[in-house]
Amino acid sequence: MAHSHKPEKKKSKGPSSKLVSLVAQFDDPDSLVSACDRARREGYRKMDAYSPFPVHGIDDAIGIRRTRLPFFVLAIALCGCTFAWVLQYYVNSTDESPLFPGYKFFISGKPLGVAGIPANIPVMFELTVLSSAFAAFFGMWILNNLPRFANPLHRISRFRRATNDRFFLELNADDEKFNENRSRQQLEEWGATAIEECHLDTTDHAIPKGFKMAGVVLMFALLLPPALIYRAAGMPYPNPRLHVVPDMDWQDKFKTQTVGPNFSSDPLNPSYLFEDPQAMRRPVDNTIAREDYGMQFDEEFVNGFHGEAPSPETGGAGPNAAAAQDEVPAQPQVVEADWLKEFPSQVNVDVETIARGQQRFEIYCTPCHGYDGNGNGLVNERAVALNANGLAQWTTAKSLHDPAVKSQPVGRIFDTITHGRATMGPYKDQIPVKDRWAIVMYVRALQETGLAPPAAALPPSETAVEPK
Amino acid sequence: MHARRPGKITSPVVSLSTSYVKLIPLGLIVGAVGLGVAFFMSLGSDNTLKRFSYSYLVTFCSLLSMCIGCLFFVTVHNLTRAGWGVTVRRIAEIIAMCTLPMFLLFMPILIPMFTGHADVYPWVEDNWTDGEPNEAFQRLKDTYLNVNWFGIRMVAYFTIWGLMAWSFFGASLRQDVTADPQLSRKMQRSATWKMIVLAATIVFSSFDLEMSLSPRWFSTMFPVYFFAGGVLSAFSVITLTSLLLQRSGRVTDEITVEHYHDLAKLMFAFVVFWGYIAFSQFMLIWYANLPEETFWFRCRMADTASTGWKYWSLLLLFGHLLIPILALMARTVRRNKTYLLFASIYLLVMHWIDHFWIIMPQYNIGSDNHITAATNPLMFNWLIDVPCAVGMIGIFVSIFCIVAADRPLVPLNDPRLEESLNYRNA
Repeated sequence: MAHSHKPEKKKSKGPSSKLVSLVAQFDDPDSLVSACDRARREGYRKMDAYSPFPVHGIDDAIGIRRTRLPFFVLAIALCGCTFAWVLQYYVNSTDESPLFPGYKFFISGKPLGVAGIPANIPVMFELTVLSSAFAAFFGMWILNNLPRFANPLHRISRFRRATNDRFFLELNADDEKFNENRSRQQLEEWGATAIEECHLDTTDHAIPKGFKMAGVVLMFALLLPPALIYRAAGMPYPNPRLHVVPDMDWQDKFKTQTVGPNFSSDPLNPSYLFEDPQAMRRPVDNTIAREDYGMQFDEEFVNGFHGEAPSPETGGAGPNAAAAQDEVPAQPQVVEADWLKEFPSQVNVDVETIARGQQRFEIYCTPCHGYDGNGNGLVNERAVALNANGLAQWTTAKSLHDPAVKSQPVGRIFDTITHGRATMGPYKDQIPVKDRWAIVMYVRALQETGLAPPAAALPPSETAVEPK
Repeated sequence: MHARRPGKITSPVVSLSTSYVKLIPLGLIVGAVGLGVAFFMSLGSDNTLKRFSYSYLVTFCSLLSMCIGCLFFVTVHNLTRAGWGVTVRRIAEIIAMCTLPMFLLFMPILIPMFTGHADVYPWVEDNWTDGEPNEAFQRLKDTYLNVNWFGIRMVAYFTIWGLMAWSFFGASLRQDVTADPQLSRKMQRSATWKMIVLAATIVFSSFDLEMSLSPRWFSTMFPVYFFAGGVLSAFSVITLTSLLLQRSGRVTDEITVEHYHDLAKLMFAFVVFWGYIAFSQFMLIWYANLPEETFWFRCRMADTASTGWKYWSLLLLFGHLLIPILALMARTVRRNKTYLLFASIYLLVMHWIDHFWIIMPQYNIGSDNHITAATNPLMFNWLIDVPCAVGMIGIFVSIFCIVAADRPLVPLNDPRLEESLNYRNA
């Protein structure tokens, strides 16, 4: 084929330069495809084509196998989907797991576990899509040996037109059929308008010294952030914290134990949204906690007494009402109920229940009654001090080791927790029935084993027992 | 290298030629026998007309949504100036054109409504309740759901669909003779506003035909659900028709494996889209948990053994979504004609099952929106529903043959015919 481009031989780059391939230029996609086709028929296997745009049929012409990428994408997508479900299941449907505890909360009344799968599907879907997109993108890189920092083809100035208006066929020197002179002739036969040699510079493969040093310095620099975090952990800091998303930190909302919306601008004549000015609403009458559902028919279990309810004077006293009177059983106006003497059958009297009771006791009771039940909780001590200055009205928290309390039947203690006494408010809305019985059991255990208050007259056998 | 084919149809025959003359009476006979058996078997149920009408409506809605799906394909094909599908577009045009005769098939539902039968649509009654009575709410809905206004809307839908289908089909047929590329331009321009009109009619017709079976229930996602299933069945029926025509030699090398590959890709896409929409509709209602919305799903997810709807729903989840997703995923499968023949029939059956799931649970709905106890709460009856479906498909084949007649089954002179014939998937 007669053409102006003589196959100009590049100057050999010395013994350390290696011929990688012959690169032939073609002027149109059709001649590229036909050249590829002929090269494949001649037995060439290691070759590649370069074109500014996708050329139909080139895959078949070079004999490229169909990509395996779809299978990788499917596998990764299934992993992403499974991971999304397992994560949500683990976090939201398990409570006590070996690795870390999940958050077994009911959200919007939706079921947990497999029955609640519709709530998990959006995340599963998103993670499937995301992981398949990543798998397709990065899988393409890996299968194409990308990223590559240098390619000897880029040393050929003519090759730059591969991104513009020329088409190239590269015959790799590793190919069994490759013979420099014969291949060059063949390429010319197939219509190449120019042929270039592609050389790989093998002079020096060593990494420059500066790079190594920089690498070592970088490695040490990477240790800095964890070191700083380690140093900062638990260290007090004088400046206030940074509020990155301020509206999440200061929300316009009514908090618990605050006054509700006031529509009046006159401070002396407030007009609240609710009759009771609190911001928080009480549960609707006869509301039953989810854990307690179905128990409302076991009256003894729920009430703590047999038969008739105690008279109103005993139960449900508001703050400061009948202070210090109701604990005295001899008061004539108090009609005591037929309290349970034993724990009801629904409660298992065992170590597990006592442990649960201790945990609940330490959450709900210790602020006033103290850890050992002596009535020396921090809230109580502070309130007593305020009371002495006339700044608050407070009935001193009872010591649970008081003989008056010790002699009470379990049902009576249960009732105290349920409805409150004197300053103590009712806990029936906070603590489920079963937990209240567990607390009673722990109180009993405390009374049996705990330190007695100094003034209490106790049989010597009980004082000798070490606290739990 | 593949030689480029010229943009010409080379086969001597690309029409039903004379065989449509035989097929029309055959289809009608199948229709008469099928519907006759279904009606005869319905005599045994408590309300013959109601039982038959429900079964009839299931197949009618399946076929109608399929025709509308084909109309959508023709419109979107023109709208996007697509070149690949020119050779399969004519089949879609013919099926879309069947929408107009489908109006006659709606008469057995529509006429009893005008004589005051509230068997199918409960709101035909003056004082319908559908669960909790709520006077103000029902009177408000009556302004939309009343027989006269319903009839007017039905006439309007079918007229609009018929005109749209005819304008595409007619222009395409004229082009076979005149080879005028301006006709393609005209179709492309009009596809813009036709798409909007089509969307509006699909929305309201799905409300009227299927959602109003439970007049108290509402879901703005429902039209999309109807549409997704319809388009999926449209791609299935285009594939099926092409395969059958090619097997019987009516179309030869005009429809290549590349076209089947693309149709299968679209089938796959709409399987996913259907699932996406079905789940979106379900999850919003499930999560919000509002009683005025959940009852529709509650009776379709009934847990008790006496109602089989839970299993029917699971059948849809697996049979209409998960299995087809996996089955249509692979490239080799999409290019296998035998396999696609099976897949397209399977998806059409699933489409019918989908509409059965939408319509049939309303049959036994009691006053509290629970399915009332019945000997066969699932309602599916081999001797009513299957003959009814077969009979209506027979009638539909007759309609197809009347519309197709001896007209070309492939556009002969479309300017993009060459592109379509040489189309190759990368």
